[in-house]
Amino acid sequence: MRNDISERRAETGESQADLAAAVGVTRQTINAIERERYDPSLELAFDLAAHFGCRIEDLFDPADEDR
Amino acid sequence: MNEHTAPATTRPSTRKRYKRIAYGLLGAGILALWIAIALDRFAIGVALYWAGGIGMGLVQRFSPVDLYDERDAAIERKAGRNTMNVFVLGAPGGLVLQESGLVTLPGEFHGAMWTLFAIYVVYGASVLYHKYRT
Repeated sequence: MRNDISERRAETGESQADLAAAVGVTRQTINAIERERYDPSLELAFDLAAHFGCRIEDLFDPADEDR
Repeated sequence: MNEHTAPATTRPSTRKRYKRIAYGLLGAGILALWIAIALDRFAIGVALYWAGGIGMGLVQRFSPVDLYDERDAAIERKAGRNTMNVFVLGAPGGLVLQESGLVTLPGEFHGAMWTLFAIYVVYGASVLYHKYRT
């Protein structure tokens, strides 16, 4: 799923490892989400949105997803 | 944050270290089993294998970090499904080859087929159990 996590991470100066530690997943998982190779669970999506202080729909864009 | 997520201070290196310990214990148990089988010490081998497995479980249970996150679980789910598909679709192919006279299968193959059947029975029971609990 398309997202702007890497852009938001760049704004806050966080590494993938920092973000991963903050939301309790591995760095590889953050990397996979940023590269749109893995769609996070609703719970992790909420954690990520809370971390960046935004709503889930601000962070993720399902427009290109096959339905 | 819930039981499946680690505290904010968790570093990936810590997770990796505990994962290595957990898999190391299981690997040592499997190695010990093979060595014991080679030495005709089956009971000792199985005991060491169980010890390795239990050790792995204890590390997973009591490590200060969760060793698996949701992507690991998704990967394991997909890999498990693929593995089952390979055996379910591939193994009966051996029987077809034998029927056609192309190969003569050893007795171990039939043992493996019964083991596969037993795995499916347990798997099916587990699916039903979790279906009624969820």
